[in-house]
Amino acid sequence: MTGVFSSSLGWVRNRTPVSTTPPEGFSPDPRRRNAAELIDRWGLWIAPVLIAGLAGLLALYHRSLDLESAVMQQRSALSWSGKLWPQTLQHLEIAAYSTLLVIVIAIPLGVLLTRPAFRRVAPTLMTVANSGQAFPAYGLLVGGLFLLGNGTATVVYCLALFALLPVLRNTMVGLDGVDRSVIEAGRGMGMTRRLVLTRIELPLAVPVILAGVRTAMVLNIGMATLAFLIGGGALGITISSGLKLNQDPVLIVGAVMVAIVALTFDWLGAMAERYLRPRGL
Amino acid sequence: MRGLSDPRKARVEALGNWFTYVQDNLEFILEELVNHLQIVAISVGVATVVAVLLGAWAQSRPIVRALALSITGIFLTIPSLALFALFIPLFGIGNRPAIVALVLYGLLPILRNTVTGLDSVSPAVVESARGMGMSPRQQLLKVRLPLAFPVVMAGIRVSTLLIVGLTAIAVLVGGDGLGSFIQDGLTRNGFPNAGNAVVVGVVFTVALGLVLDAVLATVQRVFTPRGLLV
Amino acid sequence: MSPEPKIHLDRVGKTYPGTKIPAVEDLTLDVHEGEILVLVGPSGCGKSTTLRLINRMIEPSNGRILLDGEDVTKVNPDKLRRRIGYVIQQIGLFPHQTIAQNIATVPKMLGWEKERITEQVESLLTTVGLDPDQYRDRFPKELSGGQAQRVGVARALGADPDIMLMDEPFGAIDPITRDRLQNEFLRLQEELHKTIVFVTHDIDEAIKMGDRIAILGDRSTIRQIDTPERILAYPVDDFVDDFIGTGSTIKGLNFLKVSSLKQTDYPSISDADPCATGVAKLDEAGLEWLVLVDAQRRPLRWLHRDELAKSPASYDDLGEDVGDLLNSDDSLFHALELMVQSAAGQSVVVDKHGAFAGVVEMSHLNKAIRRAQYEARLHYEEMEANA
Ligand SMILES: Nc1ncnc2c1ncn2[C@@H]1O[C@H](COP(=O)(O)OP(=O)(O)O)[C@@H](O)[C@H]1O
Ligand SMILES: [Mg+2]
Repeated sequence: MTGVFSSSLGWVRNRTPVSTTPPEGFSPDPRRRNAAELIDRWGLWIAPVLIAGLAGLLALYHRSLDLESAVMQQRSALSWSGKLWPQTLQHLEIAAYSTLLVIVIAIPLGVLLTRPAFRRVAPTLMTVANSGQAFPAYGLLVGGLFLLGNGTATVVYCLALFALLPVLRNTMVGLDGVDRSVIEAGRGMGMTRRLVLTRIELPLAVPVILAGVRTAMVLNIGMATLAFLIGGGALGITISSGLKLNQDPVLIVGAVMVAIVALTFDWLGAMAERYLRPRGL
Repeated sequence: MRGLSDPRKARVEALGNWFTYVQDNLEFILEELVNHLQIVAISVGVATVVAVLLGAWAQSRPIVRALALSITGIFLTIPSLALFALFIPLFGIGNRPAIVALVLYGLLPILRNTVTGLDSVSPAVVESARGMGMSPRQQLLKVRLPLAFPVVMAGIRVSTLLIVGLTAIAVLVGGDGLGSFIQDGLTRNGFPNAGNAVVVGVVFTVALGLVLDAVLATVQRVFTPRGLLV
Repeated sequence: MSPEPKIHLDRVGKTYPGTKIPAVEDLTLDVHEGEILVLVGPSGCGKSTTLRLINRMIEPSNGRILLDGEDVTKVNPDKLRRRIGYVIQQIGLFPHQTIAQNIATVPKMLGWEKERITEQVESLLTTVGLDPDQYRDRFPKELSGGQAQRVGVARALGADPDIMLMDEPFGAIDPITRDRLQNEFLRLQEELHKTIVFVTHDIDEAIKMGDRIAILGDRSTIRQIDTPERILAYPVDDFVDDFIGTGSTIKGLNFLKVSSLKQTDYPSISDADPCATGVAKLDEAGLEWLVLVDAQRRPLRWLHRDELAKSPASYDDLGEDVGDLLNSDDSLFHALELMVQSAAGQSVVVDKHGAFAGVVEMSHLNKAIRRAQYEARLHYEEMEANA
């Protein structure tokens, strides 16, 4: 994976990983090549600085709004302790639960679908799943509302369903991508199927699965913005208040808050991808 | 309907209901479908032009390349509603902030595939084109881009599907499109036909995505240089 | 031949699901304790399938497989494989584990104690020629192809199995390294005395590695199974003849020793003898060349009759260098090589003290080859008569 800022949307990212640096023998100027490699290498460490900068700017902007004397609606919508902070926590809570749910469902399912007994049905299932790529998140949430009632739990279920595919796909791709000869060697030494799965296949698939989890997490954070639509709260409320009340400052603060949260967690995901991969790979 | 158990009967009835709803509202549905398509077409079109040009320019320039991929990656990381909202102060409410945001969303897949597609053109082919006296522009237009075309198209298809789904949210910032039916259903929650409206929004959005993808797949196949087909 | 074979395949067959033609058909085969049996044959003839039947990576469609007389077709395959070493061409080292962890795989599964495992890893790394301190904690990607295959062999030896199955283990390695690994492996086998089934498609590797070679045709049918020298001396049919290819006779010389030749008394003179003695000896033997030896009878040079006839004052500066000398346990292949290089068309043999022992010439080789071919044919005729 390249820098932290590489895309996070599941099927967008997971197609072909691409190097941010061109292949060998491209740039005539070695200095520029090195600069690009530095971006690649240090992107992970530049990112938090940029995100912190964005947060600083937002804090300055928030202060400059002079809420004490602002209109009542602004004052209440932009209260840090009353609205923004609790909403942020709620936002993270929703994203965390749904990501957890995705992991708990999608990884075992991915393992199951790559076992010999289910190998046959897997492609069909994936084709069906892929055909729903244009499925609107908005529709899923409202559908969830009708079927399960409003509230945070419904949001979590809907989000988990929406973000299932990247983790499922990556689990399957990761497991399928394990070198057959490594598995053959393991079986040849008398490792049971279960041992081969837990000691060889899963560890080797970790980088790909992690990429899928990162994707799902960022998707979930994005979708949690829509939770307000069905009474799930979170930072979407601020954006929606800004829209309803026609207050641009509220809109901007809400949107930038959401962006900061998303970028921060994408960065954490990138860190996890880089540092949780098994050594030796 | 003799012989059908009650829940099944209810389901069949619900389906019949839905078709009646679609028939009754066909005019509106078609109108929003066209609106949806318009937003998608403009966004994908602009994103394609920008991303392909940017990709062709950036591919052999390491710094630009790394920056372009990182920045378009950021766009894709920012949640859609937030990105839509950020453009409201600039463009007011309506389709415009949505289209700008959707263009930004659509950039990365196309940009990345353009870059990988160009990477994968064999250096020997480019070398021989140069050896025949083609200018850099000719090399790009006559040799490198045609060879990268299938990969670029794959990127365009990914962006299109992404944008079709996201356009449903445009309605939240005052835009048009099939999202109107979902919003309609939400506001009329509990009243008759609320569910039918939501299903219309979802079904027609997914269907639009499938149709567009099929069309683009055909374009991809038809215009791929014959020698590249397997 | 030991009375009970270490591995016995009893009319084993394998037909892959979805295929009509069996990959292995009605194969009966014995592997004796401590030998390297090489399965060799054209690509796709079923060598790998046969090998994988033995450790039940593939379940046989019919027939029985006996290890030490015990039918293993019904035992738990995982437990079975832990007592059989298995090496494949792609090696399949676990990339996320260190070299030490890779080698410890089977001992760990068998529940060995930690110290014993550590010791075993050390000793195995040393056995395959890798310095434990340097390689123990490396990851597979930090090894060259040759080193990786050494680790592959060490890992297969992990819990000291009696039996090793090797499927083209050196197939993906560059020729020079391959030659080194083959030699080292043979040296290793002299100490370990494992029972080894070794698959290759390369007849030269088979000849080099095998105590016995089974040449397989389609559906893994045995076309000929015997020692390399007998196969080279007497290919039973055109299939085998084609497969071992041209030059098989010359390859066969590898297996014949200089000591097996009857070396005739060959004229030689000491550098103290007068020329006339030499000429007399040549006349007596009816030859053109003789060997000049020093006081310890070590060969110095070839001398020709014409040079002796000139009655030179000293032998210094006369004649041709004898070149490299043959020992009695050198192969006839080596003898042939020296012979073509030598001026006299012959090569000089010395005993273990370095003293002149005789001369090997082309006609000797010719006789030796004919005798080997004759003996091999006789062997097959006897076998046929007994059958
Ligand atoms: N898993 C399998 N399924 C079906 N056919 C196979 C399978 N493995 C091997 N075969 C077939 O069995 C025959 C023998 O294969 P193999 O034992 O691998 O040959 P070798 O190792 O001698 O090259 C070949 O015709 C091959 O195509
Ligand atoms: Mg094979």
